[in-house]
Amino acid sequence: MDAIEYLDLLLKSLLLAGVYAAMAVGMTVVYGVMKIVNLAHAGFLMLGAYFALEMYERFHIDPVLGAVLALPVFFLFGMLIHKTLVRWLPKSDTPTLASLLLMFGFWLVLQNIGYLVWGNEDRSILTPLTLSSVQLGQISVPKVNLIVFACAVVCMIVLQVLFRRTWFGRSMRALIQNPYAAQIVGVDDEKTSRLTFGIGTAFAGFAGALLGMLYSFSPDFGRQFLLRSFVIIVLGGLDSVSGVALGAIVLAIVETFSIIKIPASYQPAISFALLVVVLLVLPKGLASLFNRKWRAA
Amino acid sequence: MKLPATVGGKLNLVFPWILLLILLLLPVTSVSDNILRLIFITAVWTTTSVSWNLLGGMAGQVSFGFAVFFGLGAYTTALLMQYGHSPYFGFLGGAAVAALASFFIGLPTFRLRGPYFVIATIGVTEAVRVIMNNIDITGGASGYRIQEAGAFRPNDHYYSAIVAVALAVGVSILVANSRFGLALRAIKQDEDAACDIGVNPYTSKLWIHAIAAALTGIAGGIYARRAAFFYPGDVFAFQTGISILLMPVIGGIGTVWGAVLGGVVYGVVEEELVARYPNIHLLLYGTLLIVIILLEPGGLLGLLRRLFRRKSSENPGSNGADDVLWGRGRVEKRDL
Repeated sequence: MDAIEYLDLLLKSLLLAGVYAAMAVGMTVVYGVMKIVNLAHAGFLMLGAYFALEMYERFHIDPVLGAVLALPVFFLFGMLIHKTLVRWLPKSDTPTLASLLLMFGFWLVLQNIGYLVWGNEDRSILTPLTLSSVQLGQISVPKVNLIVFACAVVCMIVLQVLFRRTWFGRSMRALIQNPYAAQIVGVDDEKTSRLTFGIGTAFAGFAGALLGMLYSFSPDFGRQFLLRSFVIIVLGGLDSVSGVALGAIVLAIVETFSIIKIPASYQPAISFALLVVVLLVLPKGLASLFNRKWRAA
Repeated sequence: MKLPATVGGKLNLVFPWILLLILLLLPVTSVSDNILRLIFITAVWTTTSVSWNLLGGMAGQVSFGFAVFFGLGAYTTALLMQYGHSPYFGFLGGAAVAALASFFIGLPTFRLRGPYFVIATIGVTEAVRVIMNNIDITGGASGYRIQEAGAFRPNDHYYSAIVAVALAVGVSILVANSRFGLALRAIKQDEDAACDIGVNPYTSKLWIHAIAAALTGIAGGIYARRAAFFYPGDVFAFQTGISILLMPVIGGIGTVWGAVLGGVVYGVVEEELVARYPNIHLLLYGTLLIVIILLEPGGLLGLLRRLFRRKSSENPGSNGADDVLWGRGRVEKRDL
């Protein structure tokens, strides 16, 4: 291994981190505000990928534009799900089994709908763009990775501005910090939760469309990304956007560089092993915020 | 004999024995082979359901990772039979290996609580499947075939499954009535409070995990011996872990007979309905899960109880425990 190859891997892991961050951020906001471990996130990722595919094949809309279009569509979809299902869950300030299993059941439903509509063969979105690459010195990078990375970063910035500068973002952060105090000062818990779930779903659809440009997918798509999202969220301290970015970078680097030492067939086990290790070792040390939840659980 | 808190009435004391007697005598009568096969599969699933309930229902530790024990039981039994041991020795070996594995998994993951434990068990299942796909001794991803000498004797399989399910139910009832079972229920309701009154949650969880794993391992071995061919994508599948968890939830989480009911319903549905409509089984289970959680967290048993109005008169206190498991009434703990 020479320096160029290391540089190549580093660049690849950075690009990967962008997508990972976009993928995990939806789950983070939902967890933060509602304390729901959203297992249906995997289903939304899958639907996002198929959404971009359908847009491209039926209406010849570029997948990048398709991903952006997924945002409003999935936003409404998420609000609808909150109104019909999530709202009825018992309120709690720690994640409950009921919420976990409810979202899990919904994921099964989404997966089955995927199988009924699209069958079980692997699909992928191929455009002239996905097959070309750019040369950066001695390193060649597929164009699509760069575009996907740019999209992800722009979206993260938009989300961060939304959180920091708007009334909605402020009430959301208030709910994350302390739901009771937030309600005392007049934050509408129900409405904010609904919007948050919409945003979480919107970002899942968006990230799914981006992932669909990079990988082939089937209705089972999303399971491997679901666990990666957990790792990222836990690494990032569970409920902040910047934490997600950090967690995504760490996971992407670990995954990319482990190829040097660990055979590729064991690759899927890495994020799962990392998940268990992170859950065990990190929470006590890093975020005091997490510590408090830990005790309350 | 004192009955577990979740079962009441004199009928319940006699009913299991009658059921067992009928099941044992069934092969003697001229019942069709297909029915016996259905009962066999149902008994295997019910065994896993009841053993999952030991950890998930009684101690409140929800695990997505029981496919690991099921798969290890299957592989251990197969390997032992391959080296010329009797299948029954193989089942015991499967139980031992599964129990051993449960310690390896439990030692780190029981440091976690609630949903973090759940998520960690998902990670463990996926990691174990990836490893099993790459191990040479078991044929890796391409699977393993058992060659058993002699003719195929369906009654052997049938009786071993019935014995396994009776064992699982017996162990569950014993545990539910013991001090140990009381400690487990205390852990489910409030781990810190259980600690204060002298229960060691960590070791209690480890032991019940091992018992549940051993029973699941036996079920895996029995399944493997009859199936004669299996592969990691089957026995170690995430789907298997889900099924094992779904059964007690469907039947009524936290109660022995709920777990049995769930296993029976699941076995019959899986064999009859899913065989006929294979492309909607996820939809079916997903919808069932959603409906149960939103409308009747007590599962089918809770529904039956509500229909027969027995909950209020005989078990006024039994509902509180399940509320804890489902996360109700936990809000007031937060400091402002």
